[in-house]
Amino acid sequence: MTTKPNPEQVTPGSLKPKKRGIRAFLTHQTLRRISQIGVASFITYLIIRNAIVGENSGIATTSPEAYCPFGGLETLYKYITTGTSFVSHTHLSNVVMLIAVLVVALLFRSAFCGWLCPLGFLQDLVSKLSGFLQKRIPGLRRGISSLKKKGARLAVLDRYLRYLKYLVLVWAVGGAAVFGFMVFKDFDPWSALISIAEFSFTPGLIVLIITLIASFFIERPWCRYACPLGAASGLLGKLSPTYLKRDADVCTSCKICTKTCPMGLKIHDVSTVKSVDCVTCLECVDACPVNGALEVKIGLPLIGK
Amino acid sequence: MKINPIVYGILVITVFFGIILGFQAAGVWSTSGKVDNSGKAIQPSASDPTSIKGWMTLEQVVNTYNVSLADILTQFNLPSTTPVTTAVKDLESDTFDTSALIAWLQSRTIPIEVPTITLEPINPTPVTPQVATEISEVITPLATEHLAPDRTITGKTTFQELLDWGVPNEVFQTIVGEPITDYNLIIKDYAVGKGLAFSDIKTKLQTEIDVLPK
Repeated sequence: MTTKPNPEQVTPGSLKPKKRGIRAFLTHQTLRRISQIGVASFITYLIIRNAIVGENSGIATTSPEAYCPFGGLETLYKYITTGTSFVSHTHLSNVVMLIAVLVVALLFRSAFCGWLCPLGFLQDLVSKLSGFLQKRIPGLRRGISSLKKKGARLAVLDRYLRYLKYLVLVWAVGGAAVFGFMVFKDFDPWSALISIAEFSFTPGLIVLIITLIASFFIERPWCRYACPLGAASGLLGKLSPTYLKRDADVCTSCKICTKTCPMGLKIHDVSTVKSVDCVTCLECVDACPVNGALEVKIGLPLIGK
Repeated sequence: MKINPIVYGILVITVFFGIILGFQAAGVWSTSGKVDNSGKAIQPSASDPTSIKGWMTLEQVVNTYNVSLADILTQFNLPSTTPVTTAVKDLESDTFDTSALIAWLQSRTIPIEVPTITLEPINPTPVTPQVATEISEVITPLATEHLAPDRTITGKTTFQELLDWGVPNEVFQTIVGEPITDYNLIIKDYAVGKGLAFSDIKTKLQTEIDVLPK
């Protein structure tokens, strides 16, 4: 006698049923996009309001800079040593934002980067646009595919370039502590983006343009190689109890997880994803076709069990 | 322990915004250097030009540091038609920025020299060297203080000083529009409290002072 398989039954190793209708919409990726859009919309509102109202009117407007968690990291030394003052362009709100990001990192790894950061979202958008255009323009698809094949030879370079963000972190935070002002500000693409209405040509604007162009070919280039906040968040995330577990017994090694990872991590190669570069966007979990092959787990910090 | 990705996302969002809202509810939140935590406007400190910020206007600088607008414009080759309400940072050029203004104002302040006084030993003939009681007190100089030129209204001038300079009571009461009851009141504080423009009152009063015989 054979038992008819229940399509709703989830057993490890079984293929995930294709979601349709509202169930296809109600996923963690939808929630992630909603949170990213919410934060990006709020910052866009601040940028526009600041540009329209201006800082010299009687109305005190809030600069988008006041909501930058990295500003909190840059001003932290001065705030701790003086107790009251901040480096220019930063406020108490920056310190509070930093605390929120670091607590999230302690609990959920670099989830701020994957779920909330508007600069990460902007890079995601450009990459999605690239994917959209590649589907419709075969020539573009072939060109980018060819470039990626050539770029694969530079995998070693990719590995070492990822350390660049730690140098940026030391330079930005150390510079602010030593000199008392934000040495990184003029080179910061986020600062250039939120000051776009001022039409000021800074090195940060060039970095922003390069980042957006690079996002067309590589996902999240700024996050991978240069983001100092991501570097700090990733390092602290090492102490987090959450991690991604790949079950080698049920994994079919289809490599879809690796292909979808915006940070370019080789997920199919490891049993536990504990890389400092993981932004816990969970795109790999969403893309994985097998039940139980890739799951979010809570365990002991550092050990991951 | 396995955790559902949707629950994971909800936790991330809840913890992040929960912390921010918690700090805001506790009053540990400020998004502007222009107002303090109680919402009171931050003003430059008369004794510390480094408290000048780029968003502050020339009017605030003029009123606080007893310097005329013309002096600033001339010193930094700024257009003579520059409105007093212009923010310092909006005038930034190769020859002028906030730090240059601060340095110039610092160079204009006159330090008050206080002599160092060393007290002599209380007991000039001690019984033994071991019990000698030598008191040596060094009085440190006062912080650099801002001195206003004679008969110039600043942000610290009181109504009593106007009387002392010979300005008739009726004249400044006419300018401010009502009788003054407390002459020790600082004119700027009075103007701010009444919602009047200090710069207007200051200009009118200064005109009256300038025509008085010295």
